[in-house]
Amino acid sequence: MAKVSVLNVAVLENPSPFHSPFRFEISFECNEALADDLEWKIIYVGSAESEEFDQILDSVLVGPVPAGRHMFVFQADAPNPSLIPETDAVGVTVVLITCTYHGQEFIRVGYYVNNEYLSPELRENPPLKPDFSQLQRNILASNPRVTRFHINWDNNMDRLEARENQDSSLGCGLPLSCTPIKGLGLPSCIPGLLPENSMDCI
Amino acid sequence: MKLLKPTWVNHNGKPIFSVDIHPDGTKFATGGQGQDSGKVVIWNMSPVLQEDDEKDENVPKMLCQMDNHLACVNCVRWSNGGMYLASGGDDKLIMVWKRATYIGPSTVFGSGGKLANVEQWRCVSILRSHSGDVMDVAWSPHDAWLASCSVDNTVVIWNAVKFPEILATLRGHSGLVKGLTWDPVGKYIASQADDRSLKVWRTLDWQLETSITKPFDECGGTTHVLRLSWSPDGHYLVSAHAMNNSGPTAQIIEREGWKTNMDFVGHRKAVTVVKFNPKIFKKKQKNGSSAKPSCPYCCCAVGSKDRSLSVWLTCLKRPLVVIHELFDKSIMDISWTLNGLGILVCSMDGSVAFLDFSQDELGDPLSEEEKSRIHQSTYGKSLAIMTEAQLSTAVIENPEMLQYQRRQQQLDRQGPAARDTGSASSVAGVVNGESLEDIRKNLLKKQVETRTADGRRRITPLCIAQLDTGDFSTAFFNSIPLSGSLAGPMLSSHSGPQLLPLDPGMPIPFSSSKPSTEPAAGTRPVGDAASKDGVNTATAPTTPSPSVLTTPSKIEPMKAFDSRFTERSKATPGTPALASTTPTATERLREQSLVKELRPRDVLESSSDSDEKAPAAKPSSLPKRKLELEGEAVEKKKKGRPRKDARLLPMSLSMQSPAALTAEKDTVCVSVPAPLKLPMPGPQRAFTLQVSSDPSMYIEVENEVTAGGGLKLSRLKCSREGKEWETVLPGRILTAAGSGDVVCVACEKRMLSVFSACGRRLLPPILLPSPISTLHCTGPYVMALTAAATLSVWDVHRQEVVVKEESLHSILAGSNMTVSQVLLTQHGIPVMNLSDGKAYCFSPSLSAWNLVSDKQDSLAQCADFRSSLPPQDAMLCSGPLAIVQGRASTSGRQAARLFSVPHVVQQETTLAYLESQVAAALTLRSSHEYRHWLLLYARYLVNEGFEYRLREICKDLLGPVHTSTGSQWESTVVGLRKRDLLKELLPVIGQNLRFQRLFTECQEQLDLLRDK
Repeated sequence: MAKVSVLNVAVLENPSPFHSPFRFEISFECNEALADDLEWKIIYVGSAESEEFDQILDSVLVGPVPAGRHMFVFQADAPNPSLIPETDAVGVTVVLITCTYHGQEFIRVGYYVNNEYLSPELRENPPLKPDFSQLQRNILASNPRVTRFHINWDNNMDRLEARENQDSSLGCGLPLSCTPIKGLGLPSCIPGLLPENSMDCI
Repeated sequence: MKLLKPTWVNHNGKPIFSVDIHPDGTKFATGGQGQDSGKVVIWNMSPVLQEDDEKDENVPKMLCQMDNHLACVNCVRWSNGGMYLASGGDDKLIMVWKRATYIGPSTVFGSGGKLANVEQWRCVSILRSHSGDVMDVAWSPHDAWLASCSVDNTVVIWNAVKFPEILATLRGHSGLVKGLTWDPVGKYIASQADDRSLKVWRTLDWQLETSITKPFDECGGTTHVLRLSWSPDGHYLVSAHAMNNSGPTAQIIEREGWKTNMDFVGHRKAVTVVKFNPKIFKKKQKNGSSAKPSCPYCCCAVGSKDRSLSVWLTCLKRPLVVIHELFDKSIMDISWTLNGLGILVCSMDGSVAFLDFSQDELGDPLSEEEKSRIHQSTYGKSLAIMTEAQLSTAVIENPEMLQYQRRQQQLDRQGPAARDTGSASSVAGVVNGESLEDIRKNLLKKQVETRTADGRRRITPLCIAQLDTGDFSTAFFNSIPLSGSLAGPMLSSHSGPQLLPLDPGMPIPFSSSKPSTEPAAGTRPVGDAASKDGVNTATAPTTPSPSVLTTPSKIEPMKAFDSRFTERSKATPGTPALASTTPTATERLREQSLVKELRPRDVLESSSDSDEKAPAAKPSSLPKRKLELEGEAVEKKKKGRPRKDARLLPMSLSMQSPAALTAEKDTVCVSVPAPLKLPMPGPQRAFTLQVSSDPSMYIEVENEVTAGGGLKLSRLKCSREGKEWETVLPGRILTAAGSGDVVCVACEKRMLSVFSACGRRLLPPILLPSPISTLHCTGPYVMALTAAATLSVWDVHRQEVVVKEESLHSILAGSNMTVSQVLLTQHGIPVMNLSDGKAYCFSPSLSAWNLVSDKQDSLAQCADFRSSLPPQDAMLCSGPLAIVQGRASTSGRQAARLFSVPHVVQQETTLAYLESQVAAALTLRSSHEYRHWLLLYARYLVNEGFEYRLREICKDLLGPVHTSTGSQWESTVVGLRKRDLLKELLPVIGQNLRFQRLFTECQEQLDLLRDK
């Protein structure tokens, strides 16, 4: 079973100018004290078309992690605009927070990010060369997409094959046109009621 | 009957393999396949039961879901107490879940906030042992054990109070084991496997009782599960998939002789699951019909691969109801509600059905009392102890009681959070006085960030809550090592000396006890050896007696801690075996053997315990010194000091035997023909005695100090925390003893002198009726045990007699018994531990000997009151009773006997044992122990529901509310105020709603008294 489960990720200072750092407040819970540190990464997806434009904004070790609930703020600098294809600068993209233990990724939290000009004029007539200083970044904090992977938490156990969550297709290859949908997991409970089948006793 | 399929109970269309209703009926668990893992979901029951709740959006349907199993969950089972949920799955693991109380509702992150985990259930134990998929798990009655079975062909029994301890692995099946059921009275567990056999195992020794194969011979193919079930009355065991005349059946196996004559027939495909209704029913009495008592019967639900469910009553030949086409796929599990009227069924198709019966259809369920009566009449034992679930339905009549219960619940809720040293936040999320909000504001600034050696950022996360896991309160239950470690230092430090075996056969805590006849026989050669040469032990060191018998009077540990050193260093040449007097018994044995090797001649002096060595120790030639000493002894004899016949006293008296023999030879002074003689200390030149180590106090005695003019005096020196005093006495000092208040010495000519702590003589010498054997002091009390086996105790402060020349005849009568240990309590109650393991105290008020301990007491061995032990202090209760009784690991024995003794017998023995403990503590006037045992006893009475005795206790503790002159009632008992005791008892009584009337009565009267 997963030793670490993420309880919440709060997106701080959102929306914010394009150049301001990303700040995520991450709370997680750990069942058993971990021998080693967790490694967290923030990955900015520069272009939906290719992983090539992914930028690892920062990676940080978190530890020591005893059993219990913990929280920390993960701050990372804004992406380097020069690495972003000009055509993809404005519009919806994705930022990913991943966590690995012993090099195995066990959770990936994805957010849609909408970059757009604040001023209506620029919105109407975007400059050919994107003006990043005028862009506002808006993370759709209410709709995280969470994918969990099974990993081997113990060194002594046979390494389990990390299997990707089947229903969650969020990743680097996420089509940009995809609109946020309801969260992963069970569909909401529809309080459906069957007509009662009354049967007489034999 | 009503039928409902709550569609919202699903695993997203994935199969549901198991369902189980919580004993309190408010929730149920399902287990099965999740997205890519196993899944356990806990659901709210009320939307199933009530349509209004189902429609109400504010009533949560799902309470918690756990995706922690790596693979499909095959079985979920609540413990009988409802505290734990066990789940087993294809990942070979069993997980035990417990509700976390400190966290409020939370959402599964990323789930859009809709799937609030209303309750937090977290895994407290992961049980790993199986090498294959776990197919079924089952809690034993009483939740003492958890059994699991697996496709690895084994059944594993886990110690449910001490996970992950494995008590047994049952091997014998040659196929996948797919179902388990416990006998409701706890004697057996049955398992069914793909190897076409059903095996019944005994819980007593975890061995196979029987293997039933005949009904399964024809079984072909496999079913996913084979969940069998035992009827609540214990009479029938019903198997899953069996065959009769090529038709699938559920085989009925009778407990009596494991006969297989009946079966439930009718399903078209293999039976996968059988589940008995937990209730036993009797026919509904109809108005007008003759009220003839009908036989109670059981009710059983059978689910099959043919997707249909049948419900049977054991009094009917045909099924009560058959429901076809209930599901699209095979039925996987069935669970009854505790009231016996509802049933949840789950299927491989991922849906669940609920059936609701009425009492008209099933009959009148028997009450738990009636059910336990059936158990008792059939098996002489019952496990039917009123459960919490039933209690919760009882009406609380008294606001006090209600308050109390609420307080308890609050405490229970706060308990874990409060324990976690304040850093664990409760629901409000307060860490060290700061609210979670405050923390979050400053988290970025506050959090510790460092750089690793390779320059990477490393953040130390802020811990906002600790986990309240792992609180199976087993701390006490591991009492075998615990009591050992407690008893170890305690006995070795202070009661070690007093437990030195005067008789080697005396059962002492360190050596395995031998039957008392053995040493008696064994010592004979020693006596013979002694009588043959009559010389070899003339050096009898005699110090054992004083030191052995005087130091232990104090109860505080560490008292006699290092007396060993002082004694050894002070030993005079005439006392060669001194070294062996005070070390702890184990050390001592080792040392003795060393002594034996080095100095075989001294073997007898060191009260050797191995009889075969004794003859070998006979000296062929006698050292001169010994001859001289022997001469001295004889000389003393001639002075008219009576010596006793050693033969009555085994081993311990071997040191006296030469003297006794000379006495016989001389026939001079066999002055006391009493049949009982106790060992006497012989004269020594000098000896030292440590009275206590904290404060450091020791007594030095030097005899025959030449005072000039041919005068010889004895000098008594006492040192206490550096302050010394000295005094001289005319006669030789034989033995000495001291306490914080007094120092006393016994001299020749039967004189006993008593001094104050500062060396002032308190009394003129007391003339003892016969020579001293053992002298002992505790507080102001002085105890003298004479060689003629009479006992006197004086209170020297008040200058009163407490026990007057009481003979030990009655307790030493017959056989070769000796006094192995003496003890004087702080209240001046003398206690004699005898070589046969019995201990008597003399009650001055009753003027009689009372048996306070018996090592062979079968009561102590059968008594089982673990459930009533308070969680914390438990074994820490020390006092004279604890010392006298030693700290045998009775709880271990109890645990072993948990199910082997019929419950009624066990109840009776436990009651009797606890009562005798209370009485013994009372007689010993040990208030601390009295309170301990009284509370324990009361708790047991409460737990087991003995009202009359409980009422009597309360009545006595309460006394008359209105003072009446004629009342004989004492307001205190052994220094404790009875009403204070009653106040302590009240919360205990309040734990059982059954006693709420008693609780109210006492509460009211106490209030009344307080107001006065």
